[in-house]
Formats: sequence, C-alpha cells, structure tokens
Amino acid sequence: MIGEVSHFFSILASGLFFLSFVFSIRTYSGNHNLEVLVSRVFSYGFSFILISFLLYVWLAIQSDFSIRYIAEHSNKDLPTFYKISSIWSAHEGSMFLWILFLAGWSQLFNYSLSKNDLLKAPAIGVLAFIIFGFLIFLLFTSNPFETILPIAPTNGADINPVLQDPALVIHPPFLYLGYVGFVIAFAYNTAFLIKGDMQINWESVIRSWSLAAWILLTIGISLGSWWAYYELGWGGYWFWDPVENVALMPWLAGTALIHSLYVSSRSKVLRGWTILLSISVFSLSLFGAFIVRSGIIDSVHAFANDPQRGLYLLAFSAVLITSSLTFYVYRLPQLVSKNLVVAKSKESFLTINNILFAAAIFAVMLGVMYPLIFDYLYDERISVGPPYYNTIFAPLTFLASAFLVFSVGSLWQRSSKLFFLKSFLSMSIIFALIVTMFSVYFYQEYQWWFIGGIFSGFLILIRYFFLIVDSFMKKNYFNKSSATAHIGLGVLILATTLNAALSYEKIINIKPGETYKGDAYEFFLIDFDLINESNYDSVQAKFSVKPIDSPKEVFFMFPEKRKYFIRGQITSESAIKITPLKDIYMTLGDQLESGYWVVNIQYNFLIRWIWIAAAIMCFGGFTALIERLRKS
Amino acid sequence: MKNLLRFFILIIPIGGILFFYNILTEDKFYPGASFKNTSVPQFELLSLQSKSPLINDDLNNEMLLNVWASWCITCRIEHGFLMKLKSEGITITGLNYKDEASDAIDWLNLYGNPYNYNLHDLKGSLALDMGVTGAPETFLIKNGVVLVHYSGEVNQGIWDKVFLPIIQDNEMFK
Repeated sequence: MIGEVSHFFSILASGLFFLSFVFSIRTYSGNHNLEVLVSRVFSYGFSFILISFLLYVWLAIQSDFSIRYIAEHSNKDLPTFYKISSIWSAHEGSMFLWILFLAGWSQLFNYSLSKNDLLKAPAIGVLAFIIFGFLIFLLFTSNPFETILPIAPTNGADINPVLQDPALVIHPPFLYLGYVGFVIAFAYNTAFLIKGDMQINWESVIRSWSLAAWILLTIGISLGSWWAYYELGWGGYWFWDPVENVALMPWLAGTALIHSLYVSSRSKVLRGWTILLSISVFSLSLFGAFIVRSGIIDSVHAFANDPQRGLYLLAFSAVLITSSLTFYVYRLPQLVSKNLVVAKSKESFLTINNILFAAAIFAVMLGVMYPLIFDYLYDERISVGPPYYNTIFAPLTFLASAFLVFSVGSLWQRSSKLFFLKSFLSMSIIFALIVTMFSVYFYQEYQWWFIGGIFSGFLILIRYFFLIVDSFMKKNYFNKSSATAHIGLGVLILATTLNAALSYEKIINIKPGETYKGDAYEFFLIDFDLINESNYDSVQAKFSVKPIDSPKEVFFMFPEKRKYFIRGQITSESAIKITPLKDIYMTLGDQLESGYWVVNIQYNFLIRWIWIAAAIMCFGGFTALIERLRKS
Repeated sequence: MKNLLRFFILIIPIGGILFFYNILTEDKFYPGASFKNTSVPQFELLSLQSKSPLINDDLNNEMLLNVWASWCITCRIEHGFLMKLKSEGITITGLNYKDEASDAIDWLNLYGNPYNYNLHDLKGSLALDMGVTGAPETFLIKNGVVLVHYSGEVNQGIWDKVFLPIIQDNEMFK
C-alpha cells in the first residue's frame, strides 16, 4: 500500500516538473506573472519527490518484499543501516537517489535565487525539464516500485557482501551529489545562452555552486578509491576502470571550471571557454550515467540491463547536450572577448592549464572509447590499461604543475617578470632541483616519471612555502584556500610518485608455526581461527609481526576469508597495518594441498597520504566556499 | 567561413551519439548476451531429485540450461516465463546453483517445476566452468554446443530478441 503511495507521489512529481517547464517556456513570450508560478510549482515537485523517497526508505526499513527491487537487493537479517543503503546498491534505486539529489540541488538553487534574477525562470525551467526527463526514465524503464504479486517472497536476496561496507554506503551518495551538483552551472548557463543578455554576470552566481559540487565529487571519488583499496584485496587505489574514468572526466572538467570561474571575477577574457566548460562538466556526468547504465561496458560497477535504458538515456542526453551546445555556438561571437590574453599574465597561465586539462579529459575519453570502437569495428576485445593512462597523465600533470607555479605571484592582466634570479620562482626551481637530485640519489631511481613527479611535487610545495612566508613577513593578503588546495595537490603528486616507486609485494607460502623473514619484518603465523557469524563463515589467520629494527613493537594481523551463506560468495578481508609512511597489506590466498597457505604481503608506501592529500584539497575548497558564502 | 567553423564543436558530441546509437541498435547488442559458440565443459553432477549421477551425454540435443537457486529472487520472477516456455514444448534443464537440495526441492514443489530434471551444482563447479557469475543465467544448447549465453532474467522481450533468431537460424525445437 505504502509502495503505491510512494509510486503515486513520484508520478505526481513528474507532472509538476513538466508543468513548471511549460510555464517557464510561456514566460519567454513576456508573461511575467508566470515566473513566480514556475518556481512555486517546482518547489511542490521537489516536495513530492522527497516524500516519495522517504516512503521508499520506510519500505526498505520495513523489508517490504512485495516491492521487487527491495526483495532483490535487501534481506530481513541486514542491519537497518544496510537496509537503507541497499536502495542505492543497484540500478533502479540508485537512479531514484540520483534524481532526488538532482531535485534537491535544484530546489536549493530555486530557493536561493532572488525573484528579480532575470535568469531564474528559464534556469528553473531547464532544471525542471532535466528532472522530468529522468523521472520518465525511472518510471518507464527502471521502475523501483514494481511489485511481485500476488505472493511476496518471505525473505530477500541480500545485497552483495562486498557492498556491505560503511565506505560504500556513503560513497555513491557523495559521488551523485557531486555529479548532479554541476547541473546548476549547466542549467544557469543554458538559460543565459537562451536569453542572450551579455550584461548578466552569471559567473558570480554559479561559482559557489560549482565549488560545492567539486568538493562533493572529490570526496565521492576519494571514498571510492579508499573502499577499493581495503575491500577488493588488490591493494591499489586507482585502477583506471572505465567507471572510475567516467567519474574522473567530470572531475577534471569541474576542476578546470572552478579555476576559469575564478578568472572570471577579474576579467571576462575566458567567458566563452568557461561556458563551454560548464556545459562539458554536466555533459560528461550524463556520459558517465549513460556508460554505466546502458550495459555498453563490462565492469565491476556496471549495471547489466536492457538496451531500452541505454537508448532512452542516449536520446535524452543528446537532446540536452546538443541543444545547449547549439545555443552556445549561436551566441559564440558575442561571447568571444575582444581583448586578447596578455602573455605571462595570471590568466594566461590559467588558460594554458585549461588546455592541459582538456587534453587530459580527451586522453581519458580516448581510453574509454578506444576499446568500444575497436570492438565495434573488428569484433575484438582489447583493453586500455594503466600504462597508457600513466604515460599520458604523468607529463600532463608535470606541465600543469609548472604553469600552476608560474601563476603564483603573477599579475592579473599584466605581463609578469618571473624569471629573474632572485625571484621566488627561480629559488623554488633551484630548491626543487636539489631535493629531486637527492631523492634520485637516495632511492637510486632514474625513471623519468619519478624525477618529474618528485620535482613537480616539491616545486609546488616550495613555491607555496615561499608565498606563505613572504605574505606573513610583509603582512600581504594571499589566498589561503587556494594555497591549501594546491599544497594538497603537491602532496598528492609526491605520494603517488613515491607510492609507485617504492611499493612492492611478496607472495609467500606458510603454515602455522612457521616464520617468514621479510626485509623489515618477521611474520609468524600463529594459527587459524574458524569464525561463524550470522551471515557468513570465515577462516582467519593470526599473524604476529615483529619489526626487525625494533623487536619490542610486535603487532598482530588477521587476514581472513569469508564465505557468505546466501549467495555462496567468497570474499577476502585484507589485514592492514597502518604506519605513517606505509601500509602493510596482507591478503589470505588459497590453501595448497600440502597444507601451506598462500599469503600475499604488500608494502604500500605513502598510500594514506594520497587520501590525506585529497582531504587537504577538499578542505581548501571548503574554506573557499565558506569565504564566498560569507561575502555574499 | 569562420562563422561555419564554430559549428564543428557540435560534431564531436553528435558523432559520439551516432556511434552509441549504432552500438545499441545493433542486432547482436544485448547487454548480458554472448553468442560465442563454446562446448559444454565435461561434468559429472548428481540429479537434484533422484540423486543419480548425470554427465554430458545425459543432456538433450536441443535444450535450454537455466541456472537458478532458491535464494535468487530474480529466478522467482523468471519462473513464470519458464513455465510458459515449458508449456510450449521447450526442454529446460535446471542447473541448481549453490543451493541446499532440500530448499531447492521445496521451492519447486511450492511454485511448480519447469525443468525436465535438475543438475545439482552445490559448489558451482560446472557453473564456474561455463562462465556463470550469478543466477539466473540461461544457455541455449544444441548438440553440446552453447549458442547463446544470457546473464539475467529471461522474459518475453529477451526471448524474442535474443533467443528466437538463433533458434530459427538453427531450426531448433521443431
């Protein structure tokens, strides 16, 4: 019964969003009385979607297995926490959440925009159209309200045990919040292009929204990487999986967008480019949704399903992207600035980095598309792996770091003298070179990516160190948020470089009572425990690990293998010992016929620092956001 | 000329859209469907009901092999369509997957039995060899060769688009 009510509210909401869209079209013919109505009907639409979703959460908590989706993805014995998160563990429910967030962001925007904003009605109209389109997609091709009648099953099928994890409960919501957050920039800019009034200062309106979306997307991607690291048992933090890639593209475009918007506060010279970026970010989010939900790629993340969904998403994305781009192309001559970018000015460096980001996005896109095109043309499966991405990404990152460092201390709209001997830039380069030479000597590592990574990482850190010290001495203003976020970037580059250079693994065969002596640790396998939990059995190894340098600091590690009853799935739970500079990462393999167990021991250097760096970047973004909100 | 040049921006997304449209409407494109002809691997399993051993030679010449389990909700939903196929004279053999025999037999008694007999694959060994990743999955088999491997629920739409063309090409189930 509640299921039908929830379903009904969603249907009503789609009607209201459509109405809001129709009203917004009518306002173009000068009917200004309707503008208030556009916004009000939109708010009702949001309330209905919210009610519908909350009822659905209630159904999930109550384990109402007459709802097919809940029966297929939840279970009576699950803790309430996972009963709720089972909603976004598969296609239909996650789409529902996606739409709720889309409507939520839009409603916040609707609420915060002043009534006198010239672009309010058309922007809300665009948002209403987008939400309506996705609701139709939900209701007609991916209905989460579908029931199993006449008899409901007595228990549900459970969610995949790999997904029963706190990080994964919050990873999709953050990711979706980030993805759809960029819809605001898309809708507002589309409205701007439709109206064509070049006096409107849209940049200042969408800056905070884009920044907020960027922060959430960064958190979402980092959580996914962290989860993959400890749960999947491979010990890596990024796999260049197609679905990771389609999340990375909007992130790259979003990063370029927030920087271009930053330029826009000083000069209008990048206007055309900024609009193109804001269209691109949301288009890339749509592309991601299409790739993941159409079944076009095989991936751990992909939701297998029928081609109707793919066709609908393709058609709908095509309408949104091409119409927005057509308006863009139509208005382009008005958007292009008459002034040229001054060489060696701050915006010139930002422009160069914009181009480098575009190149990075293009490279990822090529990596995602190439296997598809190849399969289509030659009926052969190939995969594009990490070597391709690393080879392209490393030099782009180094170049972008260099131009970032040039931009620090350069001037707006004026050519800056940067390269004189006593400048901070020259000093930073010299110091970074010295540190790099020491590192190369110390680690005996002569690979180009190692040299480049160490150099650019330190170059960023040292340059910002000078900036901060200098500003404190002279009591000058400097942008603390930007400094924080870019220091995070420097740490990220150093951590990923050192992680790639220093990490190694050992695969050993061992049985209880034996000791394996590694380079820095002795691993003693005490014995095995058999554990019986309510939903799985597990074998757990007990290791005592003794650091050879400091034998008193013995610690224990418990890698285990679980077998879940309901689907018979076997998962490996890695044991991780965290130290400031490295993780010891232990995975239990199979038992050999001889009674020995295969154990994989990885030493992952500085891997924590990758997520710490992401956190620093987010923190920088967050302080910038707070500052902007306080100003307005 | 310069005026036209700017429309090139549109070419990239439109090209991409046309490309994906082509993939999605390709006859053979169906997510979850694979049409590689492979032979059924060697197996020796017990029958679910009679507990007698079964091997490759016991398979019918023309048949569907349906992977299912009592814990699988989608199998419950698929079940109705399998009953319909059975009534149309299609031979369906069950591959009961990672399931307790008693649970599986109760399930068949409760909802009805669309299978001529069932292989009981408690450990999922045959399923693993056949590339099964979960339940339900369905194989169209002729003379020991897999013609279609479909992962996911088979319903009328999937049957018409994925299975029927291959069945007609190979003149099966006459």
